[in-house]
Amino acid sequence: MNRLFKLTVGCLALGACLGNTTAAAQKFLFDVPHMQEQAVTAGLIHTYDGPWEFFVGGGVASFDCNGDRMPDLFLAGGSNPAQLFINRSLVAGELKFEKTSIGLSDRDASRVLGAYPIDIDSDSHMDLVVLRLGENIILNGKGNCQFTKANRTFAFDGGNAWSTGFAAAWEKAANYPTLAIGNYVDRSAPGSPWGTCEANVLHRPMESGQLNYSQPYLLQPGYCSLSMMFTDWNKSGIPSLRITNDRQYYRGGQEQLWRIPAGSTPRLFSRSQGWKPLRIWGMGIAEADLNQDGYPEYALSSMGDTMLQTLDPDAEGERPTYRDAAFEKKMTAHRPYIGTDLKPSTGWHTQFADFNNDTRLDLFIAKGNVEAMPDFAAYDPDNLLMGDANQKFHEQGDKAGINLDRRGRGAAIADFNADGMLDMVVVNRKGPASLFRNHGAKTDWGHRPMGNWLAIELNNGKVNTFGVGAKITIKTGNVTQSRMVQIGGGHASGQAGFIHVGLGVAERAKIRVQWPDGDWSHEYRVFANNFVQIPRGKPDALYWYPQPSNP
Amino acid sequence: MKTNKLISSFAAAAVIIGTASAASNKVEWAEITPELGFLEQAPSGLLSLKRLEEILKVGEALFVAKFTTGDGAGRPAATQAIDPTKVRHQPTEPFARLSGPDSLACSSCHNDPLPGGAGGFVTNVFVSEGFTNANFDTSDPQFSNERGTNHLFGAGLIELLAREMSADLAAIRSGALRLARQKSEPVKVALESKGVSFGALTVLPDGLVDLSKIDGIDTDLVIRPFSQKGVMTSLRQFTINAMNHHHGMQATERFGSRWTGENDFDEDGHFDEMTPGDISALVAWQATLPAPTIQTPASNAWKQAARTGAELFNDWSCNACHRQSLPLKSLVFSDPGPYDAAGTLDNKQVRASAEYDLNLMEWAQNLPKDEQGQILVPLFGDLKRHKITDRRIATLGNELLSQRFVGRDVFMTSELWGVGSTAPYGHRNDFTTLDSVILAHGGAARKSRDSYEAATEGQRSALIAYLKTLVIEK
Repeated sequence: MNRLFKLTVGCLALGACLGNTTAAAQKFLFDVPHMQEQAVTAGLIHTYDGPWEFFVGGGVASFDCNGDRMPDLFLAGGSNPAQLFINRSLVAGELKFEKTSIGLSDRDASRVLGAYPIDIDSDSHMDLVVLRLGENIILNGKGNCQFTKANRTFAFDGGNAWSTGFAAAWEKAANYPTLAIGNYVDRSAPGSPWGTCEANVLHRPMESGQLNYSQPYLLQPGYCSLSMMFTDWNKSGIPSLRITNDRQYYRGGQEQLWRIPAGSTPRLFSRSQGWKPLRIWGMGIAEADLNQDGYPEYALSSMGDTMLQTLDPDAEGERPTYRDAAFEKKMTAHRPYIGTDLKPSTGWHTQFADFNNDTRLDLFIAKGNVEAMPDFAAYDPDNLLMGDANQKFHEQGDKAGINLDRRGRGAAIADFNADGMLDMVVVNRKGPASLFRNHGAKTDWGHRPMGNWLAIELNNGKVNTFGVGAKITIKTGNVTQSRMVQIGGGHASGQAGFIHVGLGVAERAKIRVQWPDGDWSHEYRVFANNFVQIPRGKPDALYWYPQPSNP
Repeated sequence: MKTNKLISSFAAAAVIIGTASAASNKVEWAEITPELGFLEQAPSGLLSLKRLEEILKVGEALFVAKFTTGDGAGRPAATQAIDPTKVRHQPTEPFARLSGPDSLACSSCHNDPLPGGAGGFVTNVFVSEGFTNANFDTSDPQFSNERGTNHLFGAGLIELLAREMSADLAAIRSGALRLARQKSEPVKVALESKGVSFGALTVLPDGLVDLSKIDGIDTDLVIRPFSQKGVMTSLRQFTINAMNHHHGMQATERFGSRWTGENDFDEDGHFDEMTPGDISALVAWQATLPAPTIQTPASNAWKQAARTGAELFNDWSCNACHRQSLPLKSLVFSDPGPYDAAGTLDNKQVRASAEYDLNLMEWAQNLPKDEQGQILVPLFGDLKRHKITDRRIATLGNELLSQRFVGRDVFMTSELWGVGSTAPYGHRNDFTTLDSVILAHGGAARKSRDSYEAATEGQRSALIAYLKTLVIEK
């Protein structure tokens, strides 16, 4: 190209020559992944449906149930049966899933709203907490995608509520996790549904040797929770429980943050302690430390504006005083980004992930009208807000190809074909589940891979083997990224497995892990574009390679 | 509206200024490099000799070009780091001998005995990661490693060897993974390619790989044959790094908007300074540089001494690392190649790589072959890293900083081809004689070095006579 022309065009495109950043802010210059929907060809045939109680929920659990480290899928069905699909995708090839029996009775497989994977008994087989309208169920994984119902074995009272949220964490020195169940409306209470929110429940393991959840604790008041997560908001090493609540049904309620001191009674953070009341139609929570200050930010989906809660600098890390930064980050996603319907959006599952492996986190939000709410957008495509170098977000859902006319609810973002690029499954209400394969960046000759990447698995040892609650820091050059290993959040959807990190143009990285008990690891040095396992106490990382032909 | 007006005004102004610039750039004496941007796209497909020669002309011109600020030389807002990194403090001077940019042309340093060659002590470069203390202004080894300039003759063959060896090692790993899964038990396999051992792997049935016993290679089993540490994968990667470090000329495939969000990452007023085509031309020129040769000495005395020296070279096991040759299956060089990662174009990032058969080069047709028809590349190296110091012989462990995961006392075996033309020696160009650098070998080379030290004066002289026949032909 003529060099003069390049100079001129460059100035106009970037506005940099004039110090005018407006044009630059509007144009997204980085790779946009081509996300091709291929649920039918992949064999993932599933619909979430049902009456009013299933307007919410619609979750999916992504986890490995057969030991091949490829993410398998359990999808909630509402009035349809929940289904389990084994991942048969070829490495870097087309996505393939094969339906298999869960081993649940018809009763237990029905009325399922969501599910979260967690290895409760640290036997390296993932268990599954199934959220239902009615009794919640713990499925104890036995390997090879076999499960047994373990409510009785674990002395776990599944209750009879309308459960929509879940989170888990290993409290200090505990051998087993504490489970938090978020409940929605108490339909049997007088005056239901308004002002009749069910209490949430904390199941702490008893101190005896046998796993025993026989003494649940009610987290009152409950404000119709739709998502919850344990989060170390103040870097204290003691996770608190953040709950997002649906203002549609509560009275006098708000968002909540519970202090959960190990071995002591949970207490709500109050206004006098710095907590500022926030009232939204809270549907989903996602956590990420976007500015790398060690204090996480929280994306909260709602009807209308998505919120981005960031710790107020005046709080000095000591008080949970948050301010909203969604507008300045350009991630409010308050109405559909395409089409003519300008009514407010309805957001559900939220999740941060690096779809283009450029080191900058992106935000996915599942969108969809509750059912037929006339004041909210009917065509409400899911969002893919992609992060830029200035910590701003740019809507790229249409360019990526995820702007389907479906009512999104839960979702999971994982690398289903082990090609280093994040794929995605979205559960839609009254419509087929969507399964998007990430092909990479589209070019005029096909697709090209995007940035470099790492997929990290932790081996924390005999208890809490997969390191739930650990913080992973990944350093490339002067860039430090962090990831928390968490079970919870999203919308009725959880996942376990490799933690994905985009590395951009870095071809190697240094990893340090703050294990769940607070101990820091030494530095592990790994090369990009690999699946790695960090084994606690061992000098070197292990690499993992997928089986080329996944039978 | 105001913004639009402003942009329109600026566009008009830019066109006016640009027209003037264009006019001034068209004159023969313009202070720019005319070949820059000549190839915007990387060439692709199988190249004919004619097409290759056209590209080589551009490549050579860029290699010897003295880049100017009119080309985009200088990087006021970027460090020398391989990953695009902004400076914390803008430098006060455009050049900095230590942290760079430190030269205008590749050939400013790579010139002995010809462009593409090595460089004397005065051309030493100061290697740092470029992330913290990027603007160091001292040769104190806590801030950088001082390194001599290597020659590039035969570099295409080196990269081809490395690629074949990387493929061999990956195949061994894949085979072990299959076997471990079939047998449901751990499998330990030796890692060996072209007769060079790289230790062993233990593969577990679930696909996990224990890398604790690998030797002299990175954990991803990719041979990175370039730089004294063996940490650069390809000529393409090295070229992009060096262009930024030494000249402040930034390649779009690493520093462009796709990765940084900016077309002028170094903020010197020049957008998209080096196209993929520019880099391809430079790679092609370097990859086709002739291999150094073994010269037949003019005098009988030298001939006789060199013959003896060749025998001693083997007797003392110098060839355990400095292997006289490694076999190469194919002379077809593809660029972009198969092993680079994002930030350097690889063959998955383009529609089709360019392919050129080095056999098109006259020099390549004279390379020896083995019985299987494989080309015997006379590199005098093994493309493996070794520990080169021990408690008593530690001169070559004079660095304080590890480089890109490689310990301070570990270096890639220097290829000795061309060593007769490229004094001084050692990774810092510290040694004026071959004798002194041989005596500085410790660690893995200690036994050979001790044999040399214990030998007679005549034997030592004979070895030097042999090494002096390894030359770059002018």
